[in-house]
Amino acid sequence: MMTPEQAIAASICLCLAGAALTLLVARNRVVAGWVAFAITAGSAALICWAVVHVFTNGPGRPAQFLTMPAVGFALRIHVDGLTSVFLLLAACVAVWAAFYSIRYMDHYADYSVARYYPNFLLFLAAMYGLLSTTDMMWFFFIFWQMMTLPGYALIRFEYRKPENIRAANKYLIMMQIACLATMGGAELISATGGMAGGSDAAKYDFDTVSAHLPALLAQEPLVTGLAFALFLVGFGIKMGMWPFGQVWLPDAHPAAPSPVSAMLSGVMLKTGVYGLMRYFLWLVPAEARGDFPLTQWGLAVVGLGAVTMLTGTFAALRQTLTKRLLAFSSIGQIGYILLGLGVCMMLLGATEFGPAAALAAAAFSGALFHTLNHGLFKSLLFLNAGSVLQATDTQELDKLGGLMRFMPWTAVTALIASLSIAGAPLLNGFASKWSIYIAAIRGAPVCGLLPLLAMVAIFTSALTLALFIKFFGGVFLSRTSATVAARAAGQPTLEVGGKMLAAQAVLAAGCVLFGLLPLLPLSLIDRALDSSRHGFGSLLADASAVRGHGLSGLIAGDSQSLYAPLAVAATVALMFALARLLARLGSASRRTAAPWLCGYVSEADIHRYRPSGFYSELTRLFDGLDFARRRAGPPPVAAVTEKTKEPCA
Amino acid sequence: MKPLLPILGGIANVLLLLLVAPFFQGVLRTVTARIQSRKGPPIWQAYFDLLKLLGKEDIESGETPLMQRFAVYLSLATVLTLACLVPMGFPVPMNGVADAILLIYVLTLSGVCTLLAGFAAGSTYSLVGASREMLTMIALEPLFAVAVVIGAVHTGSFRLDTVLNGSVYAAGVPVSGILMLGVMLLSFQAFVQRAPFDISEAETEIMEGPLMEYSGPKLALLKYAQMAKLIIYSALFVALFAPWGSGLPFFLGWLVFWAKVCLLVLLVTLVAATHARFRIDQALRYFAGLLGVALFALVLAGYGY
Repeated sequence: MMTPEQAIAASICLCLAGAALTLLVARNRVVAGWVAFAITAGSAALICWAVVHVFTNGPGRPAQFLTMPAVGFALRIHVDGLTSVFLLLAACVAVWAAFYSIRYMDHYADYSVARYYPNFLLFLAAMYGLLSTTDMMWFFFIFWQMMTLPGYALIRFEYRKPENIRAANKYLIMMQIACLATMGGAELISATGGMAGGSDAAKYDFDTVSAHLPALLAQEPLVTGLAFALFLVGFGIKMGMWPFGQVWLPDAHPAAPSPVSAMLSGVMLKTGVYGLMRYFLWLVPAEARGDFPLTQWGLAVVGLGAVTMLTGTFAALRQTLTKRLLAFSSIGQIGYILLGLGVCMMLLGATEFGPAAALAAAAFSGALFHTLNHGLFKSLLFLNAGSVLQATDTQELDKLGGLMRFMPWTAVTALIASLSIAGAPLLNGFASKWSIYIAAIRGAPVCGLLPLLAMVAIFTSALTLALFIKFFGGVFLSRTSATVAARAAGQPTLEVGGKMLAAQAVLAAGCVLFGLLPLLPLSLIDRALDSSRHGFGSLLADASAVRGHGLSGLIAGDSQSLYAPLAVAATVALMFALARLLARLGSASRRTAAPWLCGYVSEADIHRYRPSGFYSELTRLFDGLDFARRRAGPPPVAAVTEKTKEPCA
Repeated sequence: MKPLLPILGGIANVLLLLLVAPFFQGVLRTVTARIQSRKGPPIWQAYFDLLKLLGKEDIESGETPLMQRFAVYLSLATVLTLACLVPMGFPVPMNGVADAILLIYVLTLSGVCTLLAGFAAGSTYSLVGASREMLTMIALEPLFAVAVVIGAVHTGSFRLDTVLNGSVYAAGVPVSGILMLGVMLLSFQAFVQRAPFDISEAETEIMEGPLMEYSGPKLALLKYAQMAKLIIYSALFVALFAPWGSGLPFFLGWLVFWAKVCLLVLLVTLVAATHARFRIDQALRYFAGLLGVALFALVLAGYGY
């Protein structure tokens, strides 16, 4: 019988072997695509098996491979509940990204896939490794580089465009800084204090560090403080936290091929989230609570989260390229995760407030749930943007419009993803934000500013809505643009093929499922916490976070807040039917006609109201707030270049 | 808990809303006419308008008619769902399945549907209107959310029956509640989309914006939703900021509630008839100022005032 740790090691080896195999068959694009998909699916099956094993039998012992005791070098892998959740996310998104790639890579006919599939699989293997290793030094470094370098190659996949090379270089430099910061932090808390033995093979292991940490925290508060600050910076760079995220993230995501953008945003950023959760909440033993300034760290994380979400989303509102807009909104969504995590830390630090532990658990579940949700809808949105790119060959919002008529299924999945990310009720984004808001607002007795930060989050949610109305409305609704009309000339549809649609449909179904039955992922998270009882994790596991009630409803914070999506969905459906009935009551006849243009016969393309013109009043009003303005890309194209007037016939 | 009672309450609220909304619209139009020294239409005119529109030809001018239908039906559906989340003389019907945060988001969703309808129609005027409507929503959603959150902070609860019962005054010295009352009074015209904040429709300027391309039953539904929103927001305002009399015996309490709603509608009419429309940038600056005050009130609430 295989242990979960062996399954993870096997899936990493499988991906490595797959990388070599795809390199061999790369001459045939379709075969290489199918091989890569099969390998990804196989590794995902192994991961799923390991996760199910951990959830049913509890975590096992850490397993050790490749030991070299002289330098503290050993590949230690341990799969507990927290790791399982992130592994599951990585595997699920990767499978559909790989499936989508099979046809999508046809778009890059003059670039060889020999630089695509092998790197994709290496990248995936590295993420599996990074999420499950307990080594804070050597194997952290190895997996981090294994993730960074193939990532670099994937971002500069279209190497003939100079801006992609620049984006990839920025990514590479930022990731190396993050690597240095994180390893520096690890060295600080493992080398100082009473454990400078050097010969101990497990010197950099989570368990060893964790055992020595209480003494170190008490003796050297400054050194440990510096170490944790370095962790925050290192993982902050990875996850795109303000002010680091704006430097690399919005350039790297649009440059990569769309399935890789989906992986970067949906999964890779989440390794930073994992790192923060693991190092801040699991590494420090719960009995060292008195010496560890958790409340202060929480306040820092909450503040960074609020700034991150606000600046990211504001900058996104200015964007005129589809994938760049999505990349900035990733920064905004990372802000929500940081906010949830920070609120959890602050509440854990407060012992005197009665419901603090339960609310902390609610905030943590909310943050982890939002991590999963963001993985689902953001990778879906990047796949949607990829489909649009393949169909129209452009990322420019101003050149797109009216695509819903030509790509109905892509449009429907994009609508689901857009509403999910904007937090529309009955979809998954709402359920996770709901937990975070509740914890933040009820946490007012701990810090009077928390409701204000929850308000910032609600405000950002309105901005996100505006952003995705711009994205969805501008690309799929409004009038058909000249570019789209030229593309669609002579063919009934621009819709992408069945394989690409299937990948989008599965992710969209995930958004709806998690939205209607949020208890499903939340009980998964509950189980995950229960099978990772280390440090503050055990406090979180003991507290009742969000509990189910009745018709798959949720209850949080001493049953002072409740949400039953199925009952609400039933009500909305009933009212929808009533509205439809009302509309049919007069049996009015129906006719299609062109819109009324104040006497002009047809609309010229330059007279369309374009996405770059939306919300200009707001962006002008808040100019001062937008710290990333200089990097916000080119200003909107000056519109009128030719006079096209078609007066009434 | 008997499951039948909330369902009956929901049906009662929805029917009541559908019946009463055009009446208030009639009152509004008549009073406006009197203020402007006109005779005005009969008070039942709104009912006739709706019935007439339901039978008229339905012209679909968007690129994707299915999306237009979906957005319009959902627009009325969300408003009717709101009727089940708001106390209208009876207790809140959906108290057992939803909380105040859902209420905030369903209110937003009802605005989103109008936006989607405008985008699906796709005429330039619709898009200008939709863009303006979205900007107004960005400013207004947080304002209402602050009011609800202040109530939640004071009472430590998100339950609709607790929050929607004058909870903003639940602190010892309700400084934040009184500040918020002022902010809401100053922005109430915008919530119900009446002058001086009817910027996204602006008949004389962009020809009803998002509604411009709609006719027949779809226009009827959109108009109906708009009329109903006036009642919903008035009921919410009364429940949050003027809860006095809700403890009275059933019928008396019910009468007092609707009397307060009536007063609020008259106030809205008075302001709308005597003020000129703001430009969108002026309005945004105005809302930003109000939002600043509201956030200050929220901080006060966080520290127990």
